[in-house]
Amino acid sequence: MKRSEALIEIDNIHKSFGDFEVLKGISLSVNEGEAVCIIGPSGSGKSTVLRCINGLLPIDEGFIRVGNHRVHELRSEKEMRPLRHQVSMVFQQYNLFPHKTALENIMMAPIQVLGHERAEVEDRARKLLEKVRLGNKADSYPGMLSGGQQQRVAIARALAMQPEVILFDEVTAALDPETVKEVLLTIRELVDDGLTCILVTHEMKFAREVADRVCFTDRGLIVENAPPADLFDNPQDPRTREFLGQVL
Amino acid sequence: MFGLDYSWLADPAYQNWLVTGVINTLELAALSSSVAILIGMLGALGLSLRVFWLDALIEFFVEVFRNTPPLLQMLFAYFTLSTLGLKTTDPVTGLEVPLLSAFACACISLSLFGGALAIEAFRSGLETMPKAITEAGRSLGYSRWARFWRIEVPIASRVCLPSLTNILTNLFKTTSQASVITVPELMYYAGQIYNDTFRTLEVMILILIIYVVLVSILSYGMSRLEAYLTLPGYGKGQ
Ligand SMILES: Nc1ncnc2c1ncn2[C@@H]1O[C@H](COP(=O)(O)OP(=O)(O)OP(=O)(O)O)[C@@H](O)[C@H]1O
Ligand SMILES: [Mg+2]
Repeated sequence: MKRSEALIEIDNIHKSFGDFEVLKGISLSVNEGEAVCIIGPSGSGKSTVLRCINGLLPIDEGFIRVGNHRVHELRSEKEMRPLRHQVSMVFQQYNLFPHKTALENIMMAPIQVLGHERAEVEDRARKLLEKVRLGNKADSYPGMLSGGQQQRVAIARALAMQPEVILFDEVTAALDPETVKEVLLTIRELVDDGLTCILVTHEMKFAREVADRVCFTDRGLIVENAPPADLFDNPQDPRTREFLGQVL
Repeated sequence: MFGLDYSWLADPAYQNWLVTGVINTLELAALSSSVAILIGMLGALGLSLRVFWLDALIEFFVEVFRNTPPLLQMLFAYFTLSTLGLKTTDPVTGLEVPLLSAFACACISLSLFGGALAIEAFRSGLETMPKAITEAGRSLGYSRWARFWRIEVPIASRVCLPSLTNILTNLFKTTSQASVITVPELMYYAGQIYNDTFRTLEVMILILIIYVVLVSILSYGMSRLEAYLTLPGYGKGQ
């Protein structure tokens, strides 16, 4: 009964935009403390999977459970509230709120959404800024920070919700190579700390190093799902081989 | 000088009228501007919900108030609202008075006129909102309402502040039309004074100067506000 112990359980989910079926029956389970990387060609539905997991997109068919939330059954934003506490997401575009400082960006939701004590949240936020090595940028506005710094604030903001799972959607794709390193380092530390992560990434080397498992998606399906050593060195499916041939 | 005679300005009665007129103009402008801004925000929120009948309703409201003369709107408000016959008893004098004074009617009509323009301004401000920001708000668990007030309004207001300045300036000048429905604001007292003194040109020049000063203060205030709200590295602060 390994599956029912998983923290995240996704079973045969389907999602269409109009006539276009983006997810054609994706199943995946993620255990607590596991880091799962999703790789695959552009448009294969990677971002869509993440959005479905935290309820940003409703699914057409299938089953999604995170902890004890049955995500596919949550209808209103109010019902999603406890899920937001449990699952955070970091996006490709560093979408910090431009009218708030780095520290305020981190503090906002825990205070305004979760109703936590301001003093305690500030303490937490400052520690998180230290953790992402931006302790000296607490009072900077996002517009004053580099892309990599903004992305690390976004990670701290996601962590401030004290989630059990963080979903990362190509968080380094918009960054220049220099700053990619610092962001990946931050993520690696989170994985080492035992946080459950699902990471969509184009950084194959990173995926190989941090992931417990790698999923290769193509045209709305998970084609292959294996530990990184197996998937990268000994891919079973021809589509995986072709994709890896192009990117490696 | 130039044969202009301002000796009437020494009369305390006229001074009093002018001061009262300015105060009433300021009150009318402040009240209707505040309500207009609120209408603008709520209207834009309503439009962003994309509910068919609500969209139609708001669009209709905007079209009507944007495409008709504000003077007509004011007369319309005055005559319809005052003929509704809503009466109340004045607690001081014990007399029956209309519930909605001319001042109240002017306020309502100006608020709606300004509100219609403000809806347009806020709508275009909200349209510049990056989708990523909205999504970040959702993923952090903000409700639609909280997202609107805590995230979208602060960001969109900065974007639409210049057009809002235009609208408020416009609205300020339009308050002068309240004189037509006997609201004792600046323009109304101007008429009273030149009817009394026959110094039409002198009175008009003075009133003109007063409006220039008041509106300049308003636009100066708005430009200061804009500078204060500019975010480093965002929009104008780039
Ligand atoms: N809101 C939407 N409406 C219509 N089509 C959409 C929408 N979101 C995504 N799609 C389509 O669904 C497909 C999968 O999108 P998705 O963003 O999940 O791909 P992805 O694997 O994350 O790709 P990338 O690597 O480029 O980010 C794409 O073809 C995209 O055009
Ligand atoms: Mg994507």
